[in-house]
Amino acid sequence: MADIVDIAVGSEDFSTLVAAVQAAGLVETLKSPGPFTVFAPTDAAFAQLPAGTIQTLLQNIPQLSRILTFHVTPGKLTQADLQALDSVVSVEGSPIPIQKSEGFEVKNATVVAADIEADNGIIHVLDRVLLMG
Amino acid sequence: MNAVTPTPTKLPPSQHEFAEIIHRLEAGGAMLPDTPENLKQIIGIYKAYAVPMDFYWRNLLYIAERVFLNPLPAFKYFLPQDYLDRHNHYAGEDADLRIWRGEATAHPELLEFMEKGEVKRKLPKLLHHLWHDRINMEFAEACMRAMFWHRNMGGQFDPYLDTEEYVANADRAIKAYFKGNPVMLGLYKLFPDMFIEQVRQLSYYSNLGLFWEVMAPVFFEMSDLYDEGKITTVPEAMSFLVNGIFAIAGRPIYHHVYIRGECYEIIPKSKGFMWLYEAALPYVEAVFYRTSPFRGTKSYNAQAKQVPENQDDFHYGILYADVFPVGSAGIPPTLLMQDMLHFLPPYLVEYYQQYCRGGDDTLIQLGVTFQRSMYCVTSAVIQALRQALLYPLDDPNPEHLQANRAFFEAQLNRLTRPEARLRDIQSQDYR
Repeated sequence: MADIVDIAVGSEDFSTLVAAVQAAGLVETLKSPGPFTVFAPTDAAFAQLPAGTIQTLLQNIPQLSRILTFHVTPGKLTQADLQALDSVVSVEGSPIPIQKSEGFEVKNATVVAADIEADNGIIHVLDRVLLMG
Repeated sequence: MNAVTPTPTKLPPSQHEFAEIIHRLEAGGAMLPDTPENLKQIIGIYKAYAVPMDFYWRNLLYIAERVFLNPLPAFKYFLPQDYLDRHNHYAGEDADLRIWRGEATAHPELLEFMEKGEVKRKLPKLLHHLWHDRINMEFAEACMRAMFWHRNMGGQFDPYLDTEEYVANADRAIKAYFKGNPVMLGLYKLFPDMFIEQVRQLSYYSNLGLFWEVMAPVFFEMSDLYDEGKITTVPEAMSFLVNGIFAIAGRPIYHHVYIRGECYEIIPKSKGFMWLYEAALPYVEAVFYRTSPFRGTKSYNAQAKQVPENQDDFHYGILYADVFPVGSAGIPPTLLMQDMLHFLPPYLVEYYQQYCRGGDDTLIQLGVTFQRSMYCVTSAVIQALRQALLYPLDDPNPEHLQANRAFFEAQLNRLTRPEARLRDIQSQDYR
């Protein structure tokens, strides 16, 4: 099976995320055995951010890493695992709330594709970029 | 008053005291009503604010980076040329992200004022300084102190100031700064905490300087867009601010000190501290909402519980201020009003003269305008947080719209207390 990075690179929907992960130097980490749960925003999710947001983050790698690591939590947590929890703690350190709603919602994002299995973890695809706070 | 056209909403009307304003926010508007008069006032005052702000951020960084722990900082407001020439990261051709089309060095109106002052005469700098014919940096320092005094307002910057890593970084810089000065090094040995606390305060100088470095070009650009007819409504002005907040959110917040040509990283950029979380949000909380009771405006009896027990209940910021005439020494907002008076655009000077009750009244009127303009900035912060943490205003899911509404109502709950000026700014007659 492919690892988290291979799956993201192989998809057409994650070019912004992949570019950001590469710029932040997080490729090695996300290729390590982990396991990790990754909440992966699509290109359309990144495109919703106002102009300049990504440009500033790409100029400032520690700050970019902080936003990206807010989308990762240790362990391999499936949709069923997550929906039994109120929140999980991100690698960034801030909590990510799991909404108790009909669909599968993480913080203010909706999971548009859940439980994509990888060698070293699992991916849930989001329609919005998660921001701390 | 022009009402903002409400977008179709699936929610029943809000029952909040400020339901009309909640509905306006839900339609993408601001707390400040959308009228041409309000727009003219807020844009004009943003421009008048941006010029002294161009001095504030440069001087704050100069103090944080160069003056540092000088025990007798008599000349800390005498900004050296290299700080006036320092390039703003968000203006000029070599900007990281060009927000303002103008130059990256100090604003021409600022340079002219620094040279000739209010008296319009080129006198020795010391005379302008002692006559107080200068930019009132004391206002900027009061804002910094409000942030430093309240502390614990979210973000990772503030907790970092209490870590061993921070103390070790500060210790290296203190020892380097006082190298060859046995008296100061002896005092540091006797009272180490006092010195570390001073460095923490200097880190807040840096924090606020880096925050305002962004806001000055934002306000200059808004003024230029208004002059060109490209910002025509209050919601458009607010949206420009919202987009700016996002665009700059990732700007690093750090504290570097330069001692004998060497850079000491007291708070390195690599800590990942960000403009939005570690500077902008604590600034809004400390300066717009909380600050502290100003001596000289009113006597407060803390024993009679006239001052809140909890710091997070403090409500002495610009959103609550009873705009006060100049003439009482040392009241920070009046110092800012005096600074802005020097840089008003002609259309605002003319506007104030229409309603003026005498020369000094311009200061009060521009103070009230400033209050209106900060309600617009606060609206932008509220909308930016809604956009970042909640849902789009046209979200089809009623649960999401309800979450947005609960957020807006919680924000406006802070402005229901009688001192808040939200009710006043709904009317054009408040001036």
